[in-house]
Amino acid sequence: MKYELVAGFETHVELATNTKIFCSCTTQFGGEPNTHCCPVCIGLPGTLPRLNKRVVEYAIRAGLATNCEIAEISKMDRKNYCYPDLPKAYQISQFDMPLCNHGYIELSNGRRIRILRIHIEEDAGKLVHSRGSTLVDYNRGGVPLIEIVSEPDIRSVEEAKEYVEKLQLIMRYIGVSDCKMQEGSMRCDVNISVRPEGSEKLGTRTEIKNMNSISFIAKAMEYEYNRQVDLIESGEKVIQETLRYDDVTNTTSGMRGKEDANDYRYFRDPDLVTINVPRERVEEIRASLPELPFAKQERYVNELGIPEKDAALLVKYRRVAEYFERAIEGVKTPKTASNFIIGQIFRTVENEAEKEAFEIKASAESLNELIKLIDSGKIRMNLAKSTLDKMLETGKRPTELLSESDMAGLDEGALNELCEKAVAANPNAVADFKNGKEKAVKAIVGFVMKNSRGKADAVAAEERIKAIISAQ
Amino acid sequence: MKIAILSKLFVADDEIEQLTEDMSRIISFADTINSASEEGTDFDNINSLSNVLREDEVVPSYDRERILANAKDSDEGCFLVKNIMK
Repeated sequence: MKYELVAGFETHVELATNTKIFCSCTTQFGGEPNTHCCPVCIGLPGTLPRLNKRVVEYAIRAGLATNCEIAEISKMDRKNYCYPDLPKAYQISQFDMPLCNHGYIELSNGRRIRILRIHIEEDAGKLVHSRGSTLVDYNRGGVPLIEIVSEPDIRSVEEAKEYVEKLQLIMRYIGVSDCKMQEGSMRCDVNISVRPEGSEKLGTRTEIKNMNSISFIAKAMEYEYNRQVDLIESGEKVIQETLRYDDVTNTTSGMRGKEDANDYRYFRDPDLVTINVPRERVEEIRASLPELPFAKQERYVNELGIPEKDAALLVKYRRVAEYFERAIEGVKTPKTASNFIIGQIFRTVENEAEKEAFEIKASAESLNELIKLIDSGKIRMNLAKSTLDKMLETGKRPTELLSESDMAGLDEGALNELCEKAVAANPNAVADFKNGKEKAVKAIVGFVMKNSRGKADAVAAEERIKAIISAQ
Repeated sequence: MKIAILSKLFVADDEIEQLTEDMSRIISFADTINSASEEGTDFDNINSLSNVLREDEVVPSYDRERILANAKDSDEGCFLVKNIMK
């Protein structure tokens, strides 16, 4: 029998605010243990939490960017569980009145992954287990999070990967989070079950907690799918439980401890007042959202004539897209800019993190200048390429790197002269060409290009050379 | 006594009797809530305030010594608790 995979995601995204959700301590990553703390975020009795305005704004941005409805009235609740990473023995979260409801993310295959809700909450502290005891650092305690809960609409590992990638990209574009999975600013819990293909009934699910890499998510889901199918095939039952994924052995195993207790005894936090979201404010925030990556990609393809695959690469990193848009201002051939970025420029930025930061020496304005020189026929592609290399190395503008004569082009007389010289200097290639080897002409064109320092028009040179040879 | 131990409070022997009596009175006072009528009372948001929000501006955190001052035990700048992983 064939089995279908069914998965839903709970994604925690750390918001890029300056301060924590309920106090004014910094949210900076790292720092000596317990140096970003105050009585509020270490849960001392008698302290009062005050909600950070920007947390509400960012959560609304996230909701609007994922097609959610924004609640008019929302509130904070206490989620009780006893564990040392939570100094108050409860987490302030949202239970039945989250800020955002009923959104979706559309995948490239046209399927929509529905988003049930997005709520705001505080992060827990960090525990380090050593020598029979546990060390607690509350720097991360109280850092604002949004939790994005999807419906169980994901049907394959590929869809899961695309969903997480899209979510990550959207959050980065709207500036609410850097979503660095390796630093924990984006983490996923994956709910997964299997069912016979064609069945409408959901199988028993398991939950893989705290996944912090897309490739691990894919591997863990594959493992868990196979494990559940094997259990069912051998007549056993899948037990609903919380699992931990071990990336060394590539297996999942049951988790014990706090996750066993499921009764969180939610109740309204009496220290925090109601959140009202005026409709005008929602519209203001909606209007302030930037163009989202997929709309951008579509525009690049339809209006700028960029191939689909290249457009996807350009929008994958927000800074790259911004760079591209500045580089093509007023140019005739946006595709040239795209080719330069994806080819030559990407070769100088090695990994994902560097592409994300996209700090390169050649400014978008100087690339813009270079492309305009090509557009106006002042320089040829070969010369442009070598100039771009120099720009990337030195940060100089093309006009600083190119001399007057470089930009003067090559007039017909000079081209003619060079072509005659090339024919005379390459008798073997000429003979080969005469004997029917079409390609031999390329070597002669190469001679022209080299001796004109890339200024010659290769197509015109080839025509000229063929004419000279046939006239011999 | 149990509450004192759980709360990590030191109670002198001659204080026990008085405190026990006080505690019983506090608990019986809390019981009077049960006799109150629930009708027409909105227990949620009784102060009818909304949107008490704070600007996102950093205020220096506390010195670590002060943060850890009330900790029962500490090590390497961290709160030290009994191992919770079995």
